[in-house]
Amino acid sequence: MVGLALLAAHPASAQSSLHLTGTASGTRASTAPGGGPVTQVRLEQVMARATATSGNGVWRVWASGNLEGLTMPNGALSLGAFGEGFVDRRHPHTYVHELGGSVVVPVGGARASLSAGRGFVAFGTDDPMHQPPLAYPINHHWSQILERLVVIGGVAVGPVLMEGTLFNGDEPEYPSQWPSINRLGDSWAARLSVVPATALEVQVSYATVRSPEHRGGAGPDATKWSVSLSRMAAVRTHAEWALTDEAGRRFTSLLVMGEWAVGPHRPYVRLERTDRPEEERTFDQFRSVRPHLDDHVIGITRWSIVTAGYGLRLRAGRMIVEPITEGAVARVTETTGGLFDPALFYGRTTMVSLTVAVRLHWGMAGTMGRYGIRDATVPEVHHH
Amino acid sequence: MQRVTCNGLAVLLLAACGDPATFVPADPTLVATVAVPANYGLHDTYVRDGLAFLSAWNTGVIILDVGHGVAGGSPEAPVEVTRFVLDDAGRTVQGAVHNTWWFHNPTTGEQRYLFIGQEGPGTLGESSSGDLYVYDVSTLTAPQFVGAYALPGAGAHNVWMDEAAETLFAAYYNGGVIALDVSGTLPADLSTRELDRIQPGGDGNTHVWGVMQGPDGRVWATDMVSGFWRLSFEGSAFAVTGGGNNASERFSSDLWVHGTTGYSGTWGFRSEPGDAVLIWDLAGPTRIRTMLVDSVTTISDVEVSTDGRLLLLTTENGPHEGFVLYDLANDPRAPQFLLRQGVESGLHTGTLVEREGRTYVFGAKNPGFAPPALMIWDVTASRP
Repeated sequence: MVGLALLAAHPASAQSSLHLTGTASGTRASTAPGGGPVTQVRLEQVMARATATSGNGVWRVWASGNLEGLTMPNGALSLGAFGEGFVDRRHPHTYVHELGGSVVVPVGGARASLSAGRGFVAFGTDDPMHQPPLAYPINHHWSQILERLVVIGGVAVGPVLMEGTLFNGDEPEYPSQWPSINRLGDSWAARLSVVPATALEVQVSYATVRSPEHRGGAGPDATKWSVSLSRMAAVRTHAEWALTDEAGRRFTSLLVMGEWAVGPHRPYVRLERTDRPEEERTFDQFRSVRPHLDDHVIGITRWSIVTAGYGLRLRAGRMIVEPITEGAVARVTETTGGLFDPALFYGRTTMVSLTVAVRLHWGMAGTMGRYGIRDATVPEVHHH
Repeated sequence: MQRVTCNGLAVLLLAACGDPATFVPADPTLVATVAVPANYGLHDTYVRDGLAFLSAWNTGVIILDVGHGVAGGSPEAPVEVTRFVLDDAGRTVQGAVHNTWWFHNPTTGEQRYLFIGQEGPGTLGESSSGDLYVYDVSTLTAPQFVGAYALPGAGAHNVWMDEAAETLFAAYYNGGVIALDVSGTLPADLSTRELDRIQPGGDGNTHVWGVMQGPDGRVWATDMVSGFWRLSFEGSAFAVTGGGNNASERFSSDLWVHGTTGYSGTWGFRSEPGDAVLIWDLAGPTRIRTMLVDSVTTISDVEVSTDGRLLLLTTENGPHEGFVLYDLANDPRAPQFLLRQGVESGLHTGTLVEREGRTYVFGAKNPGFAPPALMIWDVTASRP
């Protein structure tokens, strides 16, 4: 509100942007809890993002709304996906995905920023919606922390950026939920980024997150690391490693991906190996018990998954229409000796999926989760 | 109505006896709800001599007068006597109060010690954590820490006590079953009181949920992985004397034995869901029946009334979560369904309480849309 008021004071010079996107998709997976194959058609990643920037570039406000809670309330079929009580389906995001503002000011030879609102913690990598594949990676909850109340301070000196975030540890439990304001500041993160050349970025992040999976604060805390190297160019490449320690358990993720943009053609591939906690499931086997009753898991599985696809971007003015075909092959093993036996549960340990989709974009409004100096410094991600 | 003892000659009294074909159980009457902080919530309720000991996770232990007289409470109007958190500073696990047992020592006549089990983080089937504590509750309003027992690499779960022999049996998940000498004045370090321990299924095949001593002195245990076991405990030493590896299609949960019959619950998903009660002839033990409970995936607690005529199951994770009552009067090995009481988000545990001619179910309601709570139903008119 403050930011909007300030922008209103400079109406002549303010700039605004808007991005609308949504994807209609159909996925058939060979394997699912309770048996397979299974087919699902849904609307996903249905979002609107708007930004407004003061003429002098000092102030920027940002907001994004996500309608997945309406279009896919039971999640999107996705091999190995987990988080927020969903398993083997990606969870819908909150309706208010981002809402906040930033101020960027010069300080000597450096620049400093302060951002606040609801959105992404300055930790890890960009939102998976900005990755080449349509399907989210399994490591979404290891490599990003989002939909929190955040206060982010940042300093940029030349190609080096340092960001620190105070936020609430609790993750959302359902799409209409707001973060627990009385937990703001119980968790923190720091990210060091270096942009040594145009279109290149290296980042290292650390976070300590208080009781992320129990809003009341009874759950175990998590500590997280993320390291990544990204190159934004016609041949886009990205590699990342993430680690989360929680309740004496360690989860790691290694992901590499590439995309080759040639005219309207966009072939891509992603290789990922990510650990996932296995929890007691409910009668709906795509869901795990929430709220938690204790701190048990029934195993840790390691998912090795190759995702490859092709998109054909067709432009019409500010509109992009992109048919996408995407396939994935995953292999899962249990690593701890816990109760969960993937061969017994799924009936097999190798599974495949095929997705056909049409994605629409209209307009542009920056990269989600980039606030303050990061928004102004790190190379922009193209829409995917 | 005066209860009529049924036998083979009582044909004319079938209706009064509660003939399952004609008896229509009245719906349970919810007589009290005691909210528990959503600090995970309420895991177990131990009721004895008019006191209810609530194991309320990080909130600690809550003691209610439900007819004892110390605070003028009753099942219809419980009155809190006190609550306390564990003196767990510096120990492996904090909070996580899971279960209790109030020791009535027949040798000394004391009702001094309250044993408290912690359920810390773990990977079911592989690892567990949490210690056993003992508090002096001689002064109910001011419990005092006495000591604790820790088994490195394993954690406590349900306990049972041979009070005449002053021996505590504790299920210790991957640690198996332990026996502690609890005679006399207890020391701060209860490890000096360990008598023996056993992993019934051996290393890698043991994750004991519950333990119970039958009227003939034999000790029975349910192992989530390896099923229903018979143990002997003679000369302060355990030995496996029967059972085991006899429930491979489901994970086992709680147990109860009465007379010559045993009952064990099931949990989660293995090749079959945890929707069954396994009924055992204790002479073997031999499984003589697999009784399905519709539309749940966990039978979390099993108890037979003192007179052996009523079977209580608490259920979780499914449309029929809550509790179920069965009539055992005609044939304890062929329970006759009486009623099902739905409870939103399910009951984690429940216990039957007889008081002044009435029968109550004390149930530990899981957190959900409504907060966790102790719920008390009068089921006097629900039983034949």
